[in-house]
Amino acid sequence: MKTRLPDHGPVEAPRFWRTLEERVETPEARQAAHDEFLPGAVPAYDDVHGLPPQSGVSRRDFLGLVSAAAALAATVGCDRKGQGTVVPYTKRPVEVTPGVANYYASAFQEGRRVYPVLVKTREGRPIHLTGNDEHPGVRGKTSPRAMADVLRLYDPDRLRAPKAEGRTLGWTEAEARLHGALQAAKAAGKPVLLLSGAVVSPTRKALLADLKAALPTLEHLAYEPAAGDAAEEAARASYGQSVAIQPRLAKAKVILSLGADFLNGEDPETLAAWGAQRRLKSAKEPINRLWVLEGPLTLTGTNADHRYPVAPSRLAALAFTLARELAAKGLPLPAGANLSALPGGAPADVPTQAWASLVKDLQHAGRNAVVLCGAQMPAAAHQAAHLLNAMLGSEAVALSPAEPLATTRDLEAAVQGMAAGRYAAAIFWDVNPAFTYARAAAWKEAVAKVPLRTWIGLMEDETAAQCQLVLPENHWLESWGDYATPGATVLQQPTVGTLYDTRQGEDVLLGLLKALGSAPAADYHTYLRARWEKAVLQGGTFEQALHDGLVKVEAKTAALAFRGASVASAERAAKGAEGFELVLFPGFAPHDGRHANNSWLQETPDPISKMTWDNPVAVSVQDAQALGIQEGDFVTLTLEGTTLRLPAVIQPGQAKGVLALALGYGRTTGGVAKGVGANAYPLLGLDPATANVRPGARLAKAGGRKELSRTQSHHRMEGRDIVRSLTMDEFLHHPQGHHHQPELVTLYEEQKFPDHKWGMVIDLAACVGCSACVVACQSENNVPVVGPEQVAKGREMHWIRIDRYYEGELENPKVVHQPMLCQHCDSAPCENVCPVNATNHSPDGLNQMAYNRCVGTRYCANNCPYKVRRFNFLEYTAYKTEPETLAYNPEVTVRPRGVMEKCSFCVQRINDVKIRAKGEGRSILDGEVTTACMAGCPSDAIVFGDLKDPKSRIAQLVTATRAYKVLEEVGAKPAITYLADLKNPVEGGHHAN
Amino acid sequence: MADADRKPLLDRAAALLAGPFLLGRQALSLAFLSDRETPSEEPALALQRIPVTPPEHAIKRRG
Repeated sequence: MKTRLPDHGPVEAPRFWRTLEERVETPEARQAAHDEFLPGAVPAYDDVHGLPPQSGVSRRDFLGLVSAAAALAATVGCDRKGQGTVVPYTKRPVEVTPGVANYYASAFQEGRRVYPVLVKTREGRPIHLTGNDEHPGVRGKTSPRAMADVLRLYDPDRLRAPKAEGRTLGWTEAEARLHGALQAAKAAGKPVLLLSGAVVSPTRKALLADLKAALPTLEHLAYEPAAGDAAEEAARASYGQSVAIQPRLAKAKVILSLGADFLNGEDPETLAAWGAQRRLKSAKEPINRLWVLEGPLTLTGTNADHRYPVAPSRLAALAFTLARELAAKGLPLPAGANLSALPGGAPADVPTQAWASLVKDLQHAGRNAVVLCGAQMPAAAHQAAHLLNAMLGSEAVALSPAEPLATTRDLEAAVQGMAAGRYAAAIFWDVNPAFTYARAAAWKEAVAKVPLRTWIGLMEDETAAQCQLVLPENHWLESWGDYATPGATVLQQPTVGTLYDTRQGEDVLLGLLKALGSAPAADYHTYLRARWEKAVLQGGTFEQALHDGLVKVEAKTAALAFRGASVASAERAAKGAEGFELVLFPGFAPHDGRHANNSWLQETPDPISKMTWDNPVAVSVQDAQALGIQEGDFVTLTLEGTTLRLPAVIQPGQAKGVLALALGYGRTTGGVAKGVGANAYPLLGLDPATANVRPGARLAKAGGRKELSRTQSHHRMEGRDIVRSLTMDEFLHHPQGHHHQPELVTLYEEQKFPDHKWGMVIDLAACVGCSACVVACQSENNVPVVGPEQVAKGREMHWIRIDRYYEGELENPKVVHQPMLCQHCDSAPCENVCPVNATNHSPDGLNQMAYNRCVGTRYCANNCPYKVRRFNFLEYTAYKTEPETLAYNPEVTVRPRGVMEKCSFCVQRINDVKIRAKGEGRSILDGEVTTACMAGCPSDAIVFGDLKDPKSRIAQLVTATRAYKVLEEVGAKPAITYLADLKNPVEGGHHAN
Repeated sequence: MADADRKPLLDRAAALLAGPFLLGRQALSLAFLSDRETPSEEPALALQRIPVTPPEHAIKRRG
């Protein structure tokens, strides 16, 4: 569908809108809202004969054909082929009880961030992840990518044995080759390069120190392409060392984000604190206020109380100006900060009144205010944020020393070293610089000059293709490890034996140590345990630590001395060239590219653009208008001699003159990842201070357009009153909003629920739209992946989706996120129309599906006002084989072609608790049943429970003043109650509490 | 109206004959497999299964 932007804004527009088509109310949008399925989702039917016209066969002929074939088909139907057999264990492992899940505590690392998790296994297979509830920070929550990483364990592309020059070989031969080369390097005194990911593990750090002692010529670089070079540069400038920054939002009354996307789902601790501050029962309770200055629209921007689109290169100047104004109001300016070079007056980027309110807000909040800067923003903006936090004396951010990360400057030095033949060998461990380094051609040329190149990793990638020796590594769910986190030292333990002939990287290094004449332990498990018994366990046992997954430690607050900030750096950042400013950020699904082969993530819609399976360049509304670009148009993006041809999307709320493009796409290896999107790494800059914000980009229409696999226009609900948002002022004076409460009249008998009545409450004020629930549901309920072509036809299968609604002006709209799933209506319109009673109501209020009864009429989907039923148009699952099938939850039926499916309120979890409670002779406790989406929601926006229990949390929440039911006037009596979204803008001189 | 849109007689006749013929042939080939009466001496190799083994030294939280 083409979108033509309005020349002068629409005359009458709906209050909330999801797409540009809805905003301008095109005839196509009106028709799409009316239709249940997108054009092309359902084959066009012959009006006369009720059959696809392409078949050339009429209904009468078809019936003749069927009757003639029936007798022979019946003969075949009696055949007994294809019967499976159920074989019991001949020797059952003691840990495994068939049908009973085991839970192990472990941990997952992504960059510098660590996710303590609880791993659910069935019959020995890890199948589902949640956060570790014992951890004082994450408290049972985790991130969407951490949850999805269980799929990577079963990735068919995983390397299953060592290889040398493409030939499979045994570990003995592979190790002999590696050891020989390194022994020779040691003897010759030649340097060896080791490039790994961030070192957050104290035991890994000790092992690397041991290796360095045994091989003094070892040069180790920790490289994380998504961590943001600018943040690293600024930390070194401001504090003289690398720093890990952890927001403490529980203490924040005023938050200023400088392009920081801290609500993007990556940080469960921050999201939990955010949710706790937003789940208000009354307008009298304190609430924080979020100010956002940013270029591209981020998830954090969508949750802002005040947001202003600003070019990222302007952020530093704005923040330094803010510092000067706060200093003028009496806040102490730290030594080393000289702001006299700044031009006077309020900046033009933000309206004067709003600017004054921001200054006042920060001043009033003082140490309860915090300024956060996005990892990809220029280093000068980070320095300004450090300065502001120092001036405010902010208690809402914790700084701690961190292991340094290599920046592009360090990588460039390594490239030059390799090109000069300096290194005798290089080991690339869990990194993919051949893909993520900006100068890929130079990298390839340089790396070829290293005599022995060894790669250690999970799946063969672009870097593995450049190495002679390719060593397969365990997945983290098969490995040992530990991590230092604030408040706890976390243990990582294997939850399954190795599936293939793989080893964990640390064991490869231990083998190397042995070959170099030092043997601290036989294997990494022994090494780790010995270190823990010596340095970590204080009175406790290792077994208890494994059981809990951690040992709690006192959270240390580091006293890092602020060294000052330079206004000159702001001037350097602001010095833009002609053309667009391009912002390069890690993609929601692939992150830096490491998750690109994960189909769950590729198919989870991007929280902002709702794109799947692609990374189009996002263009602002104003620029799209000026260039005549429409959604899906191919454009050429050129920067310093590099040109990419890719589709464009028009992003409301994006700053004029700014382009945004996700990194991590365009991989050249991997069954899923290969060819998905375009590789944006060649556009990264070599100056670490501004590597991700590049001025001087050119954009032009390239001709042609692409059908985008974008879900934001799917499952529309005809502009009805679906989403509600209140300001704090409205909440105070009109807590129910201005909505008419319909009087429901029904001819149906009131339903009786003898024991339980399950229901759900979703607080839109706490929901940030991070999509953790979508991934959790996919993992729990075996939701199939359908691929980009099917998504483009509107055939995605997610049982829960996040509808993202815009409100207001195109250039800077307000945003509300609304999770939408089956509402389990008591008078369900879908149940009445099913001709075979495949969907019906349970005695405890569940709208349930009998899959083997469904004949696929799709009447139920047509009659569902919430558009939450999903039809298996094709056979999405039946042809899958091991290892992919090992990821399935055995408690949930895998649905075949021709069957309708939808959210079941995780009925398998309800029954699990029911059985357990019955076995223990007690009733079900409040909060004991958790749906996957509720357990996965990091901001606790979702509450599930028994509405018949008057003391339950849910029974109290449904009576809240913000409570409403979507489309209540239809009379379907949904079991899901929503609590209206809340925004806390400055109103009538009211400032932060 | 329905009659006006109908396909030519020859097409319909061809579909009526070809459909049962093709389906029947498929059905017969399934019902009377050539090797049905004489199973081979060696059983076919079982599908290569991926061994799922419990983790060593790990301690579970619950289950």
